[in-house]
Amino acid sequence: MYGVYELQNFHVKIKDLELGIFEENGIKIYRRDDLKKVIVADSGRVVVNPVEPVNLPKNITRYLMVELDEPIVMEPKNSEKVTLTFPIEVAVILAGKKSLEVLDVFSFVKPKYALYGDPRNGVICRYWKSEVSGEEEDFVKGKLEVEINNSSGEWVEIGKLVFDVYGMKIYYGESVVAFARANVISEKVAETEFVDKRAGKKSIELYLARRIPVVKKKFVMEWGFV
Amino acid sequence: MSLLDLKVYEDVTVADVLVVIVVVVFATIIAKIATLNLRRVLADKMKRDQLELLTKIVYWSIIIIALLSVAPLLGLNLSGLLVAGGIAGIVIGFASQSVVANLVSGIFLMIERPVKLGDQVEVGGVSGFIEDINIMSTIVRTYDGLYVRIPNEKVFTSNIVNYTGNVARRFEYKIGIRYNDDADKAVEIIKEVVENHPFVLKYPKPDVFVEDLGDNAVIISVRMWAPATEWFAVKMELLYKIKKELEKNGIEIPFPQRVVWFANELGLKR
Repeated sequence: MYGVYELQNFHVKIKDLELGIFEENGIKIYRRDDLKKVIVADSGRVVVNPVEPVNLPKNITRYLMVELDEPIVMEPKNSEKVTLTFPIEVAVILAGKKSLEVLDVFSFVKPKYALYGDPRNGVICRYWKSEVSGEEEDFVKGKLEVEINNSSGEWVEIGKLVFDVYGMKIYYGESVVAFARANVISEKVAETEFVDKRAGKKSIELYLARRIPVVKKKFVMEWGFV
Repeated sequence: MSLLDLKVYEDVTVADVLVVIVVVVFATIIAKIATLNLRRVLADKMKRDQLELLTKIVYWSIIIIALLSVAPLLGLNLSGLLVAGGIAGIVIGFASQSVVANLVSGIFLMIERPVKLGDQVEVGGVSGFIEDINIMSTIVRTYDGLYVRIPNEKVFTSNIVNYTGNVARRFEYKIGIRYNDDADKAVEIIKEVVENHPFVLKYPKPDVFVEDLGDNAVIISVRMWAPATEWFAVKMELLYKIKKELEKNGIEIPFPQRVVWFANELGLKR
């Protein structure tokens, strides 16, 4: 279950996965399946929440590609709100005095990566296939509400969207949800970004801490979106 | 007249020289502290090559500013220095052509940036990781952990293969199966193994197909793309996985074999 726990009583079950901090011979040990970590702390809290889905099996990119199983064809100067999905990665974070430490990240989804663009100038993205009007699934996939705006004067077909996860705000509560915007500028170019709309408890962002805050969070899709 | 007022040359006194030394030492300490703190703060927020470049710029800027500020104490006229520097440059250029060639190559390498720190490269027959790019030479750490210094002129004029220059790269396996095995099934199994690996890219799509009917085996070609930083790990991991999965499904990799036909019946029967 997502939430904040006291270090001493941290023990949760997510689906068929048990994780927690157990005391063995006077030593605190974090355990999930075969993963074990010794914790040296007298007090503190443990935060369990969904994070940006670019950490598994290891962090190699900051981009998320969502491919639609049915492409959207949109008329010029129109906009539409669609509900897609995104893969959930759950982070277990130790919150101590003024600092955070990521203890563990796991997921019930098999990660997959893809290249957007050409090998020279393109970007590696975390790949995810989503239904349009997708349903969320506990601990597996969250809702991604995207406002697509075709500001070009052409009909466009949108088969995939690529986002920079820097600035991705994930909210959890009744459902896990994130919000984004995609502005189609021309037949081949679109601008995408995650936006912040309060909708429950906000997850701790892992990626925010990893980068210098001057980095632009808009991503320009310049290799098309079919 | 004290020792400090003693003239070393022209109007420059011992006190001036001491001030210069103190300022230069102080600037060096400041530069070291500044770069150390920059590394500490930005180490996990910037790429290593960018951070190295930034720290070098900060370090040398502090030193150069300090030197320029104390130059008048030593009686150095900066405008005169520029003229003298120009002449000296020509003299040095003629005297040490290879040094200048390395220097110029270094500057061009920094502008063109065919390689950056941490890249896996092959330059002039040396393969390894780029450890440092200096103004005169490039340092490569070979895969065996050896330190190799390559003069920049050689780097500039050699063919450079940068294995991690692009974000993704393709690699290939050729897998032979027996003629009596079902090649379609083998292709399906291989496709599944490849699909299950996170770092075999979804796009560009992997290709698995029968490429050749060889002497001893049906050759299946497996071509896939992986992130440039991960490709070797993927390559090492997948081949044996494919072999095991094929064997689990009764498809084997054959030994070389030859069918020999004899024109006459062999007289082996008793």
